Amino acid sequence: MMGGHARPTPLPGAGPATFVDIHNLTKSYPEQRTWREILRHPFREQWIPALRQVSLDIVRGEFFGLLGPNGAGKTTLFKVLSTLVTPDSGSVRVGGMDIVRDGARLRRIVSPVIADERSLLWRLSARENLNLYAALHGYGGSARTRRVAQLLDLVGLDEAREKMVGQFSSGMKQRLLIARALLPGPQLLLLDEPTRSLDPVTAERFRLFLRQDIADTEGCTVLLATHNAEEALELCTRVAVLDRGRVRAVGTPNALALHVAQERFHLHTSTPGAQAFEDLVERGLARSVRRLSGAGVDGAWPVLEIEIPGGDRRCAEVLTFLNQQGVVVARLERFRPSLAQVIEHVVTHGPPPTAAPLPPLRERDP
Amino acid sequence: MRAILAFFRANWLTAASYRLDLIISLGSLAVAAIPLYFVAGALQPLMAESIETEGGQYFGFVLVGLVTYSYLGVAVNSIANGLARSIGSGTIEAFLVAPAPLRTILAGFASYELVWTTLRSVVFVGVGVFLGARFAPAGLPSALVILALTLLAYVPLGLMAAAMVMAFRTTGPFPKIVFAASALLGGVYYPTTVIPSWIESVSSVVPLTYGLRAIRRTLLDGWSLGAVGHDVLVLVVMGALLFALAIPVFLAALHYARRRGTLAHP
Repeated sequence: MMGGHARPTPLPGAGPATFVDIHNLTKSYPEQRTWREILRHPFREQWIPALRQVSLDIVRGEFFGLLGPNGAGKTTLFKVLSTLVTPDSGSVRVGGMDIVRDGARLRRIVSPVIADERSLLWRLSARENLNLYAALHGYGGSARTRRVAQLLDLVGLDEAREKMVGQFSSGMKQRLLIARALLPGPQLLLLDEPTRSLDPVTAERFRLFLRQDIADTEGCTVLLATHNAEEALELCTRVAVLDRGRVRAVGTPNALALHVAQERFHLHTSTPGAQAFEDLVERGLARSVRRLSGAGVDGAWPVLEIEIPGGDRRCAEVLTFLNQQGVVVARLERFRPSLAQVIEHVVTHGPPPTAAPLPPLRERDP
Repeated sequence: MRAILAFFRANWLTAASYRLDLIISLGSLAVAAIPLYFVAGALQPLMAESIETEGGQYFGFVLVGLVTYSYLGVAVNSIANGLARSIGSGTIEAFLVAPAPLRTILAGFASYELVWTTLRSVVFVGVGVFLGARFAPAGLPSALVILALTLLAYVPLGLMAAAMVMAFRTTGPFPKIVFAASALLGGVYYPTTVIPSWIESVSSVVPLTYGLRAIRRTLLDGWSLGAVGHDVLVLVVMGALLFALAIPVFLAALHYARRRGTLAHP
């Protein structure tokens, strides 16, 4: 990405690899009180923690995902990194710069995609919108014109550049918001569900653009909050699962998924009610067997979810036993959890034990 | 400066996109000077003596008073209104995450209002001159300097109003109190010498009192800047004191909003 101004030199202190260093970050917000509560206890204000002792190390150039249910603290973390919110305690350093002390310098290298469409000036054209923000980022004259044209082209809005933003579709506005965030040529890009308003084709193209142009070519570090499993698996080198302000797990998306799926298998059979399945549990070959609702429609065989502890050897024993009992099995495959299931599992059962990075899920056939 | 100009351009393009509103606003202003001319003519015999040292002509006197008063709106309201609009429309986050200094963003909020008020003032004074208002052209540069100082003396009050928007999402009655006190005690419609002595002493803490008197003496009577030096000095001191008070208040409100996470909450 071209920049209109020199990037600040990072302060000494941070390691060469760690780009975002979050240490014991805590942030609380005051609780919204009713009139009655205010009148009864005018000076007793309750503060609700949004982030509790969050610590994360994000490597320069890394594509890092933030996952978690609503209210987990993802947006608060983004606001702290954008200097919109002051942390209560802990430290945050980006490129060696402290988020509180070096806020002005930090805003030159950190850029959030503010996903609210209302943050655009709807009576102005796309070009005029970017012109205003380019000026706030220090671009002037022909450099501003070039930069704006380059970004409009990049996000595919070149032909609509003179159209009033109020007449844009939701997806077009989203692309303009992304172009605006890219104006400074950021070293850290904060993306909060960036593809939620994009059609599948544009979303896929945008993910490719993020991966190739932003992360690989520019070496830009990206922090991505998403609920989209495909997005997290495709883009993120590591993800953190946040829940009620705490980091519950950090690892590669595949490692987290594997942890959730490690003992759970889907078995496709024509006789899901066979006694053999109860025998499996009684003999200790399987921990549990349950029929999945909704499976087996349209002529496909019913599916059972079986918990099989003990890895491949035990799976082979299960298959041999079922074969001996005359149960016909079409397929036994490892359960592939959705991102929501991964988050739910981590939130409910806690983080997985530390494990070495695993190959992508799609390369590991059961 | 380029960021302030960019704000102005964006606001101008937005306003210009509502064409009919723009035309009506300018047109009505031209018409507004006409009734003022007749009212001023009727009051001239009553006011002549009390405004003897400030031009002597009541139409010019009140024209200058109203134009200067309109700039108070820029100083006191434009930053707070710009901030409130930006919070309401959701643009504030995008502005604040840019590396431009906060003072530039606030000046950007006020830039369009300042130019628009100037344009309106030119139209208003132009119609006034056409109807017979008398000015001393030689005093114009001094009058413009004093107008700028008057505006600057009121900017801290605007910052305090903006601080209230930042912290509490409302200015409360604060701007209305400033406007009412300035209009009643600052000499917009009559010289401060005609008000009862006990209230006149209160008017001595209103910056507009000094600003307006000095502007009228230079623009309507042709006094030099040195001749109104006392008023200018008081204006500068008041402005400096108010800035010294308003800047910490504004920064405290900013800190309060960042701490509570309400900076961009509508």
